[in-house]
Amino acid sequence: MEILITLIKIVGTLVWFLTLTLYLTWVERKESAVIQDRIGANRASILGIRAFGLFQPLADAVKMIFKQDFVPAFSDRILHSLAPFLSFFFVAVTITAVPFGDSLRIAGRTVALQVIDGSAGLIFILAMLSMGIYGILLGGWASRNRYSLLGGMRGAAQLISYEVALGFSLVGLVMVFPSLRLSDIVAFQGGLLFGFLPRWGVFLQPLGFALFFIAALAETKRVPFDLPEGESEIIGFFTEYGGLKWGLFMMTDFMEIIVMSALMTTLYFGGWQVPWLGPGGFHFPWGGEWPLPRGAVVALQVASFNIKVVFGCWLQILIRWTYPRLRYDQLMDLGWKILVPLGFANIGLTAVLIGVLS
Amino acid sequence: MCVVEIDGCPKLELACATAVKDGMDVRTGTDRGCEARRVVLEFLLAEHPLDCPVCDKAGECRLQDYYQDHGLFASRFNEAKTKRAKLVPIGKSLLLDRERCILCTRCVRFLEDITRTHELGVFERGNRSEVGTREDREVATNYAGNLVDLCPVGAITDREFRFSTRAWFLKRSASFCPLCGRGCEIWIDQHPGFARTVRSKRIYRVRPKENPRRNGPWMCAAGRRGFAVLDSHRIDQIFRIKDGRRTILTWDKGLHWAALKLEELSAKGHSGRIAVVLNSFLSNEELFLARRLFRDSLHVGSLAFLDPEPGIPDGFLLTSQRSSNRRGARELGFDPAPPDWDRIAETAELLLLFAHPLLDAAAKGPIEKAWNRVRTRILVTPRESGLEAGADVILPSALPAEKPGSWTNIDGSSSAFESALESPGEALAEWRILTGLARELRIDGMAGLESIGRVREDCLRMHPFFKVT
Amino acid sequence: MTVKDGARFAIEVLRGGLITARHFAVNMARHSLRAIGIRTRRTGAVTIQYPEARKQVPSRHRSLHRLLTRPDGRPRCVACMLCLTVCPSECISVEADEDPDPEIQKTPIRFEIDLSRCCFCGFCVEACPEDAIRMDTGILEWGRLGRDDLRIEIWPGPGPGRKI
Ligand code: SF4
Ligand code: SF4
Ligand code: SF4
Repeated sequence: MEILITLIKIVGTLVWFLTLTLYLTWVERKESAVIQDRIGANRASILGIRAFGLFQPLADAVKMIFKQDFVPAFSDRILHSLAPFLSFFFVAVTITAVPFGDSLRIAGRTVALQVIDGSAGLIFILAMLSMGIYGILLGGWASRNRYSLLGGMRGAAQLISYEVALGFSLVGLVMVFPSLRLSDIVAFQGGLLFGFLPRWGVFLQPLGFALFFIAALAETKRVPFDLPEGESEIIGFFTEYGGLKWGLFMMTDFMEIIVMSALMTTLYFGGWQVPWLGPGGFHFPWGGEWPLPRGAVVALQVASFNIKVVFGCWLQILIRWTYPRLRYDQLMDLGWKILVPLGFANIGLTAVLIGVLS
Repeated sequence: MCVVEIDGCPKLELACATAVKDGMDVRTGTDRGCEARRVVLEFLLAEHPLDCPVCDKAGECRLQDYYQDHGLFASRFNEAKTKRAKLVPIGKSLLLDRERCILCTRCVRFLEDITRTHELGVFERGNRSEVGTREDREVATNYAGNLVDLCPVGAITDREFRFSTRAWFLKRSASFCPLCGRGCEIWIDQHPGFARTVRSKRIYRVRPKENPRRNGPWMCAAGRRGFAVLDSHRIDQIFRIKDGRRTILTWDKGLHWAALKLEELSAKGHSGRIAVVLNSFLSNEELFLARRLFRDSLHVGSLAFLDPEPGIPDGFLLTSQRSSNRRGARELGFDPAPPDWDRIAETAELLLLFAHPLLDAAAKGPIEKAWNRVRTRILVTPRESGLEAGADVILPSALPAEKPGSWTNIDGSSSAFESALESPGEALAEWRILTGLARELRIDGMAGLESIGRVREDCLRMHPFFKVT
Repeated sequence: MTVKDGARFAIEVLRGGLITARHFAVNMARHSLRAIGIRTRRTGAVTIQYPEARKQVPSRHRSLHRLLTRPDGRPRCVACMLCLTVCPSECISVEADEDPDPEIQKTPIRFEIDLSRCCFCGFCVEACPEDAIRMDTGILEWGRLGRDDLRIEIWPGPGPGRKI
């Protein structure tokens, strides 16, 4: 029974994740178009129905699948094929640790809306994200193309640098929160600060949030931090890829956006918490009360989580279509000379505040 | 157009018709002189048609130049321009356009003073005067082509060049005409070509380059026409022919093969069975190299010269000798005698033939007998000579205009030239082929001769006669 | 970078983001209003849906070349090759011959333009002394699959080389 429930949860999560990924490509196209006074992809149609180009991801998928699976003659065949799957896999597993909502009681069982609720969920996510580097490195290495290799090296260097910054930005948070277990972190954020403000990470750790956000953007390898790829000029690690394998790399990118957005939601925006919504209904700080049935509360919580994640994705796409790319030295400067010192400062500040307040 | 002011003369004088005297003070740039020339120009242009867009002379026309220098005025001529005949054939593929003619009479005077054939004259008078042929005789002299060059405007045009391109597309490079013993200095006008446009030919025309001590400003029709013909049927690959099948080789392989065959015979002491046939289109440097390689180092059995048959001289520039460097060959100690093909056929096992560019299917007759009886046949040729089928190896060489070198003309005056054209494809100058063979054969004393400068130096040291004066 | 520079930098970065966000909001609002049938003064996008809708081509727009003809149908071009001379892309090639009319003297027997090189600068039109070549056909869709198909013969065409 446990296994069945877990399986259903896995499948449900993956379906959610992949659908969102697929449609994120559509969102990216449409959002960029709206920002730039264009219309965006709107020609893919089924039986003459265009539906704002909503079928575009399907068309892309079909195209990608039927493209020639090209492996350059000079490349390392096994590693070349392995690399995109590695990338894809390590991003895909991270989503298992993210809680979608409070636990449900179905037929006398408590079912957590989360696939794995590990006691070190946060560390697990970070670890899996770091593993993604192997996909990039292998992709660059196995292509036996020196430009791809350079792209892969750039990617690895960038990801490692920003992982440090990401880690430091989270230390402050870990000091504030009671545990590394993500469900606990979310539950903790259900409380109130000063009696009215939701006790969300972003209010507890504003500086930490800013650092986390920048580092997370860099982790997704997208503009303005797209030095590993730089398709048009500096040539990236997946130059020698095409068809479905290239599509996997591309999907990995979009999945990273979602993971980062989910992580941000979980850590800084109260996860599935709705402000002032308790298990029994709303308790407004100014005295009002609005009791709700349990099902409605869970639905609201899941919706809240989804809205926050989608907003996070929207914001990341907005940023991708706003800023120009950083130069490599600027990238390194930003990582090591600004984010890391600020991360230290944040840790110190948090420690002092905790000391003073307790 | 040449009016100038001379101190002491009250009137403006014609520079071309005034004898120079001691102490004469001539001013060319005074306001009076310029104004006078401007007025003359206006009269010249009054009736001149606006043919520049279709005129072959445009771009190198003196009238255009003068208009640039002096005029740039709007025409004040309101009357209708007189219509005249525009396509008058005057012989030898020349066409006369009477509208464009400015009646300078240069053409008439050339035929009177230089060729003394008197075909052209000026007829009628005043406004109606026009250039024409006398008693309907055509201009038939061998020097008719010069009329096109000397006519200051585009009144006389050449059917061959007419409308083929515009003067400003042509790139000129200096060279010497190889087609007779005179060695006239020439300009070769070639079209550099456009990136994606096929040019119909490479050499569009050949013009004389003024050389007062040799050809003056003239050249004969044989040089003009003949030269461009040389640029056809070129061979631009190294071929090995075996059992009738051609394979393309690199220079390294081709030279190696030839050297191997030469070495096989000379190592066995059978140098006597090697026959080398040179030609007197080769430059002094090349003959010098050939002498050192074949006579002094390999001691080949027979060394002969294959030249075109002598022609009829025309008494002015064209000589009876129809190759460029017989004199040079003689000075280098060769006897440029025609090869004794029967002897070669009997004695030689290897025949190395340096074909000259005029050797074609028609001229190959006597060679073929020997060519087919010798066992190993190496052909060095710039063009298809008709002998390719029988060769074992074909080494493509350059045309005379495509290589640097020097020649000594029939009067014993030497002239050095640089390459005026690029050789097509893989073709190499003979001196490069000779040095390449020497390298493959590891001949002592020829190791350093890898640049034409070094060859020239060596040659001049041993034969100061070839000094260019 | 001083702290002040850094702060200014951060502020500008934020402002940049706000500009795109504003574009997004405004255009999104326009799109949404139009989707539910309310006409806004301006549309959310400047896109022209090409094959269905076409842009009005200005009258002096330079499109595919053509050779003008004389009343009797022969080309006005006299093969002076001035267009060929001025062309910065070296893409015109003209072959000339004797015209039967001695007044015209010269006429093109082949006039070819390599569209794969032409940059549509219109210099050839400016240079022509006979007003023989113009770029006013309005033909803009001349894409081809092969390079050689892009060498079009505009005289004596439409010939085998010209597939327009
Ligand atoms: S040289 Fe030319 S311009 Fe002078 S008279 Fe003869 S045809 Fe006329
Ligand atoms: S438009 Fe410009 S590039 Fe094209 S043919 Fe004319 S001159 Fe050449
Ligand atoms: S410039 Fe005009 S007349 Fe001259 S070749 Fe070109 S199109 Fe013909």
